[in-house]
Amino acid sequence: MALPNQQTVDYPSFKLVIVGDGGIGKTTFVKRHLTGEFEKKYEPTIGVEVHPLDFFTNCGKIRFYCWDTAGQEKFGGLRDGYYVHGQCAIIMFDVTARLTYKNVPTWYRDLCRVCENIPIVLCGNKVDMKNRQVKAKQVTFHRKKNLQYYEISAKSNYNYEKPFLYLARKLAGDANLHFVESPALAPPEVQIDMAAQKEHEDELVKALIQPLPDDDDDDAFD
Amino acid sequence: MASNDPEHKEEEETTAAEDEDTGAQIAPIVKLEEVAVSTGEEDEDAILDLKAKLYRFDKDGNQWKERGAGSVKFLKHKKSERVRLVMRQSKTLKICANHLIIPTMSVQEHSGNEKSCVWHASDFADGELKDELFCIRFATVDNCKKFMETFQEVAESQKGKEENKDASTAAELLESLTVGEKKDEEKVEVTEEVKEVAPEKVSEVKAVESEKKEE
Repeated sequence: MALPNQQTVDYPSFKLVIVGDGGIGKTTFVKRHLTGEFEKKYEPTIGVEVHPLDFFTNCGKIRFYCWDTAGQEKFGGLRDGYYVHGQCAIIMFDVTARLTYKNVPTWYRDLCRVCENIPIVLCGNKVDMKNRQVKAKQVTFHRKKNLQYYEISAKSNYNYEKPFLYLARKLAGDANLHFVESPALAPPEVQIDMAAQKEHEDELVKALIQPLPDDDDDDAFD
Repeated sequence: MASNDPEHKEEEETTAAEDEDTGAQIAPIVKLEEVAVSTGEEDEDAILDLKAKLYRFDKDGNQWKERGAGSVKFLKHKKSERVRLVMRQSKTLKICANHLIIPTMSVQEHSGNEKSCVWHASDFADGELKDELFCIRFATVDNCKKFMETFQEVAESQKGKEENKDASTAAELLESLTVGEKKDEEKVEVTEEVKEVAPEKVSEVKAVESEKKEE
């Protein structure tokens, strides 16, 4: 569901609520899907931010309106309004912070009070980190409550598409639904004028000396 | 995530079984039919296809930002022989770069890193033209070299094509423009008391304008 002032689309769309403690990577995860970037800086989300996220499947284009919520209590415990009409959900925790896993039942309870019988994915984020506190084996909550569980890393992109794929399959009742290549439209002709060219060169000089954000890891090519 | 220490092995086993569905049976809320899928690349041949990681330069922040990891391809059109660069994210297969290679373009090595290189392009990945400064990083120096060589060769080969563009190409472009999707990335923020609407992007307006110009 879009917000009242948000554009609606002519293909299937779903309201996806993302909850979990502050600082576990909810916004980073959503941003990763939106722009590709990986934001290291932590800026707590205030209230909620709604981001439309499109995926191309063998059954056409679909959209998740991702309700990226504030995890920090001081920025307002979540009002029921955030959950209302939620059609699917991601509950996230940080595998390097035990408390964030301990709080999962609370997030689950709050969510289920408003949203009954919606598909929910539990995500253990930051599995790329060395200082892991919650081992895969210790994650059992999803079995008790019949949730799907994925270990993910917004940093390395490990399993980063799985939560969306799982939810899409459940919402459509089609276990064979999969992502397909989105159509690469023919780019229009461009003429570059001299002024722009000069600007580009200046920018290039600045950019050439800036290191890449993750120059040190060479394993992230898939 | 390959590793030899026993702890990691254990995790790998658990993640292998991770695809088991432990979720509750839930009634679907939509019925979706299989549709014909188009990559948009049907009339093109891939000249080069490599795994890489793409970055864009954020001018305001004076820093490189990741754009996506996946496969980068040079695609040559079977009829027009125009070549474009298309890069898709792995797994989601979304497009993170899509632009023509034109003679004025040049690619150069990123300072102090033989595995990455930098170029400017008018990118169409989001369905609207946007000036981007890209940097791409490969797993090996060799792949980076291959990429840069191909890039330069292609740019060179496009010289002269500019002048004798035939009408059919223009028509094709026009056609593709009209089916171009509208982008709606407006971000809306809601706080408890205050409702704030981010200023609407002008992207759609721009798209319409450029369509008119073409006509």
